[in-house]
Amino acid sequence: MTLAAILAAVISFALGALLALLTIPVLVWLERRVAGLVQDRLGPNRTNIGGFRLGGVVQSFADVVKLLLKEEYYPSHIKNGKWLFMLAPIITFAAALLAFMAIPFADTLIINNESLRIQPLPIDFGVFWYLAISSIGVLGVIFGGWLSHNKYSLLGAARAGSMVVSYELPLGLSILAFIITYDTIDFNAMVAWQSGTFFGFLPAWGILVQPLASIILIVALFAETNRNPFTVAEGESEIVAGFMTEYTAMKFAMYFMGEYVAMNTASAVIITMIFGGYQIPWVSTQMLLENFSTFSITLMIIVPVIVSVLVRWMQKNNRVRPSVSTDGGRNFETKVLTLAMIGMTLVVEAILIYLVFLAESSLANSITVALFQVVVFVVKLMIFNIFFILIRWTVPRFRYDQVQHLGWYYLLPLALINIFITALVVVGVSL
Amino acid sequence: MLEISIFFILAAFMLGGSIAMITNKQTLFSAFGFLVAMIGLAGMFALLESRFLALAQIMVSVGAVVVLSMLTILTINAKEENLPKEPHKYKWIFFTSVLVLPFTFLLYKTLTLLPQSFSTMETITSKVVGKALFSEWVLPFEIISILLLSAMVGAIVIARKEIVKKEEHS
Repeated sequence: MTLAAILAAVISFALGALLALLTIPVLVWLERRVAGLVQDRLGPNRTNIGGFRLGGVVQSFADVVKLLLKEEYYPSHIKNGKWLFMLAPIITFAAALLAFMAIPFADTLIINNESLRIQPLPIDFGVFWYLAISSIGVLGVIFGGWLSHNKYSLLGAARAGSMVVSYELPLGLSILAFIITYDTIDFNAMVAWQSGTFFGFLPAWGILVQPLASIILIVALFAETNRNPFTVAEGESEIVAGFMTEYTAMKFAMYFMGEYVAMNTASAVIITMIFGGYQIPWVSTQMLLENFSTFSITLMIIVPVIVSVLVRWMQKNNRVRPSVSTDGGRNFETKVLTLAMIGMTLVVEAILIYLVFLAESSLANSITVALFQVVVFVVKLMIFNIFFILIRWTVPRFRYDQVQHLGWYYLLPLALINIFITALVVVGVSL
Repeated sequence: MLEISIFFILAAFMLGGSIAMITNKQTLFSAFGFLVAMIGLAGMFALLESRFLALAQIMVSVGAVVVLSMLTILTINAKEENLPKEPHKYKWIFFTSVLVLPFTFLLYKTLTLLPQSFSTMETITSKVVGKALFSEWVLPFEIISILLLSAMVGAIVIARKEIVKKEEHS
């Protein structure tokens, strides 16, 4: 282990933990603001620390304080197995968190002929890891639902368990079609395969190469993560809150956060498998490294444009109505954030200018490309998370029998047919 | 040294889980013991550098077997007073474990006769397993697939029969 290898391992692990955990407050905030957008209202935007609202993200921290200070309540009818009752949400949360760790955030860095994976767990069987670890998550739901000794909880747990069991089949079969196409179970190699072109002009993304399997994958992952329209396990119009009915305070928060981590993981898997992962379309890592000066000059032009649009938007929107006399520190917040953004842009520009015109180091170039890929990955991740949230607030919940019907009668046969077609095409191409 | 301590921790998990599974009266705690034992077994495989088997173990045993058995427990929802009385339970457990002890030695002998590649601490990836399955062991593999298929068809037939009967009654 060289110093570079240790550094890469530590940094990618820290990045994985940050992306999995620090996105929870952002996702909770996004959920509420997007819900507000869909329902033609604003959503939480008033909470602030010294005038800093950050669009309302601060609300999530207030939520955390509330959940921590709430009374820890144990239902008195739970005679034995309190420890398992407490352990159940942790199982769900840990499974979702561990499953996220197999996602690559950037292409393999090559430093002194040593290839370093920018992946929290440097494994080359990521798909397998995801399938295995994410299947543990439902156990927490079943334990929690059963130990609550509550009819609603029991029904919710039974629903969640049978739904996950029936949707694991189409999920696995659609992933099998991808494995046949990409000829690998390594997430990193899958992304590398998708950096080529398809029919000469389309990016070879999974959604274009395998449209049917992609749709099945997305639908099955929606079901696996218990997101709408598959929230039958916690349908509040039928069974109160499902398996979470007896859970309070931080125990409830573990389930709640586990759901968001699972959603984050599902979007990461979706973008890695079918939306080109950390790469921008048509451009592979090799191309970026070979044409580094063109790439960084393009970046130098694009970054100020994006930042100026953001700053304009913020200056236009971050203010109170004209009829309100106190401005609540909003002008101050706008000023500070504008300065911070401009400062960050200047730093990025300075680094890029230094790299292009002064330093001729291939190491610095590849690190810059890796950082750029991490940024691309995060942007794609957030876009897909917003897609998840938009679906939740636009589509009504399926009835339970409709969920099972969809899984067994449509998705499963379609996935099987898709495997046959894929195998035929792959064998035919290789002949 | 680290490996040996991890081995003992995993072994403790497996033994404790198995004992908890047999001795517990509540079915759900038995399922939890089974889960712990299975995860310990997966850890054993991982300790032997057989990553594919470790993950397959988690996927099949935990993701499928434990979840399905827990679903069965949920649907049955057995109450403690409805469970059968087992006055000599621990005696029976002790007696049967003494009875199967010779078979354990037999198993140990067969395991030590296995090919050397299992003991050379080489990383066994999915590629190695796949190649071995589809070249050297292709006949047993196919026979097992046919067995599983017939079991699945049999289960569907058994499940279907009752539905047809019910429809006839009504």
